Amino acid sequence: MTTLEQQRARGEGRKDPWSQLLVKVGKSQDRQAYHSLFEHFAPQLKYYAMANGMASHAEELVQEVFVSIWRRACLYDWQKAAASTWIFTIARNQRIDMLRKMRRTSAEMQVETEDLWQIPGEDDNEPVTSLHRLMSERRVRESLKHLPEEQITVIAKVYMEQKSHQMVADELNIPLGTVKSRVRLALNKLKVILQDQNV
Amino acid sequence: MTRHHPESLSLMDYSAGNLSEPYALCIRLHLDECSLCRSRVDTLDSLGAVMMEQQPKVSVSESMFDSILAKIDSLPSPQPVAKPVPRASVLQKLLGDDINNLPWKRQLGDVSVLDITEKFPGQNEQVVLQKLVSGGKAPAHTHRGTETTIVLQGAFADQNGVFNQWDFVVLTDQDEHKPVAVGCEDCITLSVLSAPVKLTGTFTRMLNPFIS
Repeated sequence: MTTLEQQRARGEGRKDPWSQLLVKVGKSQDRQAYHSLFEHFAPQLKYYAMANGMASHAEELVQEVFVSIWRRACLYDWQKAAASTWIFTIARNQRIDMLRKMRRTSAEMQVETEDLWQIPGEDDNEPVTSLHRLMSERRVRESLKHLPEEQITVIAKVYMEQKSHQMVADELNIPLGTVKSRVRLALNKLKVILQDQNV
Repeated sequence: MTRHHPESLSLMDYSAGNLSEPYALCIRLHLDECSLCRSRVDTLDSLGAVMMEQQPKVSVSESMFDSILAKIDSLPSPQPVAKPVPRASVLQKLLGDDINNLPWKRQLGDVSVLDITEKFPGQNEQVVLQKLVSGGKAPAHTHRGTETTIVLQGAFADQNGVFNQWDFVVLTDQDEHKPVAVGCEDCITLSVLSAPVKLTGTFTRMLNPFIS
């Protein structure tokens, strides 16, 4: 990566207001910044909880995510992940964790949710360069603007409603192969597909 | 079949949090060692964040923020959590420090297995460790359903190539293979089976992995 690209990426990172606020919470336990994050993300998180069938626990999920944000903010590094990406992964893990705990006792759980699903940017030993991460959210946002609605619909059901590809196919009354090809087309645009796996 | 790296659709299901625990474990073990796939998942995590942002919003009451503040004020330690000390890896938690020294059950010839399904309560898949002694061969077999395998130690080769430590392989009922452990270490793999294995040779008595 060239120096110019690095500078641009750093510039983008600085411009992201949510990441700046999150850094303030981490560095100085800034409650005003925390409140701004709450106003922006809590309504998104509540919809997320409701869309994936946790309506009766939606507020509990939002609260748990925010307590977790407060506790972990000191580990957050804006150079490794945008605040919204970091918060999404915390919400995802919190949802998984709540469902796991509803299903069984903690004594039965040898493996913690975070052993299986990682929060990005908290581990110094991660093998990924930070600049790649910093650019990824901007790139995703840009690419999504050019994706057909039918591809976005399928992806939204996977991420927001936790639907399997088969369930999406049944719901939209289209073949499973069509669901998969829509996802692959989108992921190809986002450069998630590997060259030799484009099947 | 998928070779060496997880397929993009599986990584998306992982990022969305839709995989069962055994499948998530296979992906996580791979991600910890593969910067290429880690960056693919970073992009997918960002996709999740942008998806969430583009959905409708549901208003929350201001009193909820007050109760969050009350909660953080009542946290046992007034300071936020410190940087955690390196934790035991998930493999150590599940299998201890020496995966060579587990209560392996010798199967046919060069193959030993250990079923660890019970470590994943409430999940539908069978989870099996398999060990093929260095230079050893496993009998030819196919699978019912799919078998997702990650190499934990050593390497094996079949007609599709060589699979090294932390490589990821998914085989379906269309794939028949006959793996051989290559290199000087025994090859140990972890496999998640959606349905029992079907032997294609004259072997009938087991259900197995390298039988993968």
